[in-house]
Amino acid sequence: MNFFGLLSGIATLFIIGLGFPLVIQTERRLGYVWWPYMLGVGILLIAASLLIPVDWLCIVTAILGATFAWGATELKEQAVRAELGWYPLNGKKIQPPFVEIIKKWKAPHL
Amino acid sequence: MNWIGLAAALSAFLGIWLGHVAVRKIEFISPTIWLPTLGFALLGCTLEWFSLSTFNLPLSTTLGILGITFLWDALEFTRQQKRIKKGHAPANPNNPRHARILTNYPSATTVDLLKPTVIHEAHEAHEGKP
Repeated sequence: MNFFGLLSGIATLFIIGLGFPLVIQTERRLGYVWWPYMLGVGILLIAASLLIPVDWLCIVTAILGATFAWGATELKEQAVRAELGWYPLNGKKIQPPFVEIIKKWKAPHL
Repeated sequence: MNWIGLAAALSAFLGIWLGHVAVRKIEFISPTIWLPTLGFALLGCTLEWFSLSTFNLPLSTTLGILGITFLWDALEFTRQQKRIKKGHAPANPNNPRHARILTNYPSATTVDLLKPTVIHEAHEAHEGKP
């Protein structure tokens, strides 16, 4: 019996659980236009994991990266949930750098 | 270079994407939710069993993560049905189970409020406000 895979699966479940407040709070405080930065953080974490020789640490880092990348695709939908009144709406959002360029891009949604 | 993390990240991202889409589509058309719940639970358990049986670490991790993802998806059928009742996901009037929900829950609707076009219009409307 090799419990490594099962443990990575359970770790994944908990790390993705962090993705819920991550998306909700990022959208509420910063706004959905931050999605390219969130995607960037995710890709950087996955890239960094390639350099980690300790397997469990490598996996945790990469899964955290996957969570950020997935979160980036959820931000726009979360913005609409707030518009619809399903979540509290915060009018005073912090604008990201290059906001005008980002607004021309289509926010990802899977 | 340690590729096991990338294997884990891809399994998680692709597994979640697949489950996210599959749960919504299957729940939309399935007359029962217990049958797909059982199917996903069995699939999840089978993958976990294979994950426990292999000593190839990347394979074990991939199967372990996909297995837990499918086990979570099994629970998502119940959560998705709750979204239908609240009107947070569109009901299918041609599905007898959803037809009953539409009759019994005033909040249920056939409109997909999160549809990309609706998303865009709602958002643009808000962005236009001073």
